[in-house]
Amino acid sequence: MSDPKDFVAVLDSDARKTPRRIAFITKRTSPQVRVKDEDRVMTYPEAFFRAAVAIEVLAIALVVTSLLWNAPLEGLANPMHTPNPAKAPWYFLGLQELLHYFPPVVAGVLIPGLVVMALIVIPYFNINVEAEGLWLRDKVKRMRIFGIVVVIFCVFLAVFDVWVALVPTIIVAAFMLLAARTDPQTASGFKRWLVGKPLSFWIMTWFLVELFVLTAIGTFFRGPGWSWVLPWRA
Amino acid sequence: MASTLDQLLDQVRDNRVWRSIFRSGSGESNLRRALFVQQNVFLHLFSVKARKRTLEFSATWYLGALTFGTFLILVITGILLMLYYHPSVPQAYADMKDLQFVVSSGVFLRNLHRWSAHAMVFLVFAHMFKVFYRGAYRPPREFNWVIGVVLLLVTLLLSYTGYLLPWDQLAYWAVTVGSNIASAVPVMGSKIRFLMLGGTAVNANALLRFYVLHCVILPFAAVLFIAIHFWRIRKDGGIYAGEPATEVKSK
Amino acid sequence: MSDDPKATNPPDNPAEMSRRNFFIKMGAGSAAVAALGTAAFSYQYLSPNVLYEPSPVVDAGKPDHYPPDSVTLDPVTAIYVVRTAEGFFALSAICTHLGCMTAYKPELGIIACPCHGSKFKTDGVKIEGPAPRPLPWLRMWLSDDGNLMVDRSSAVAIKQLVRV
Repeated sequence: MSDPKDFVAVLDSDARKTPRRIAFITKRTSPQVRVKDEDRVMTYPEAFFRAAVAIEVLAIALVVTSLLWNAPLEGLANPMHTPNPAKAPWYFLGLQELLHYFPPVVAGVLIPGLVVMALIVIPYFNINVEAEGLWLRDKVKRMRIFGIVVVIFCVFLAVFDVWVALVPTIIVAAFMLLAARTDPQTASGFKRWLVGKPLSFWIMTWFLVELFVLTAIGTFFRGPGWSWVLPWRA
Repeated sequence: MASTLDQLLDQVRDNRVWRSIFRSGSGESNLRRALFVQQNVFLHLFSVKARKRTLEFSATWYLGALTFGTFLILVITGILLMLYYHPSVPQAYADMKDLQFVVSSGVFLRNLHRWSAHAMVFLVFAHMFKVFYRGAYRPPREFNWVIGVVLLLVTLLLSYTGYLLPWDQLAYWAVTVGSNIASAVPVMGSKIRFLMLGGTAVNANALLRFYVLHCVILPFAAVLFIAIHFWRIRKDGGIYAGEPATEVKSK
Repeated sequence: MSDDPKATNPPDNPAEMSRRNFFIKMGAGSAAVAALGTAAFSYQYLSPNVLYEPSPVVDAGKPDHYPPDSVTLDPVTAIYVVRTAEGFFALSAICTHLGCMTAYKPELGIIACPCHGSKFKTDGVKIEGPAPRPLPWLRMWLSDDGNLMVDRSSAVAIKQLVRV
């Protein structure tokens, strides 16, 4: 390598000049090159036909479903008679279940708003980008924070009688504790996989489980007057 | 017989008229395959070559493509259904009955539209979770993730506005509850509800607004953001396929 | 994928076909069948089975309502009920040129179209003007109640009168 003084490093914002990137290798060592070239195939037909087949399979499934099952259609809209129960479409039933416990401002505006905000900012937080195992560093401090947050959240849910959200929270927290107690060096299998999971994984999994449970309850376990029903008895 | 079919195809594709429209010509060469993608206004969003690892089923489960597939089914069935649907009260409900009992294949198209809508909502959530769990939101793909969240909201809104259109009990009360939730927004809530419904109650104005939202405004927004979403995939280096197995060479 | 694979390994027997060609044929064949089926069903879907339009059959009332040797226009249903000494017949009042509503001119004894000046005799035959065909005779019959019935959707070639 030639002497760095042979070059002049300049910061230039002249748009007419094409910028060049120059690597300065300062140590007297030979450069190590990571070979990053990958196998490539022609988009047509490889990618094209894979996508076409996938969509065709989906289309066949949907067509068969449409031939066998009719979409529901109830009676003409009658502003003077509210059916009981009046249920939202299935993807909103989780929200409707929450409305049972919290006022509309919270369950209808605040929580969905916070969820959307939280989703949007995920990639902008370094902790999500680095995605290292939650319990692999600062274990004691993180356990303390974890304990406080979980207890406060569970008390909050219990005070408002939101058992449907409390149970999944406890289950996910139990798995997090299991991961915390696992020694990354000696563990194997599922526990080893679990201990390497980052905070973003835990929060998202908690969200997924809550979504699933709340929607399932709203769909199957709620009857007239939003009362609790057992679907196998109804 | 096989060769005559090929000869026939070649004859169709080798003349002036065909080549003036489709410039990729005939034959089985890689050049033709490349041109097929690169010279096509819809397909040139793709790169001519794709990394093999991104095409594996285990990479993405093809969820993004499947979501787009349901969207296409919905657009086509939706446009066909529009031919028999009048967005007025109570004609809308009568049209639903018409579609079910009078129109040839009406019940099939309506069913297909409805089930594809449910499938699309499910697939868009599944796609979001899959992208998250494999870390495909990380830089440089952060903004595409945000576009994805926007598309999730557009999908939910499309489903919600479409829900009102049959004007049955299910539709009417679902929208009543939904608009009352909207009015729970502090400060602006009642104004939002008023604008959403085009009035104070769920009536003919609300139906028309939801119809225009469902058939014009939201599909337009969806196409726009889908285009940006696909463009960003290309610009961010293609579909994320995890870290490649690297070979470290030193001199 | 290698270039031009059909050049390699051609079948020995001309009646044989490579697996590749077989699948291409199967695929293209089923796609063609699917396309034909889709076209057929689409055409059926797009043509309505039920029309919310007034019936083409018109009840023109009792024959005695019409004075002898008269031409009576019903603008709502666009027909002329013509009573001659020999009997009744019905004409379409819609000009065969471009669809305007014609008018009966009793002082001239003709039917005239205001749009482009076509003129017809009271039996529908064209006198002058750009209309390509005479005014069509419509199928007319007596109902069980003794009412004159006209079917606007069926033009008759043989000019039969309804005698009362």
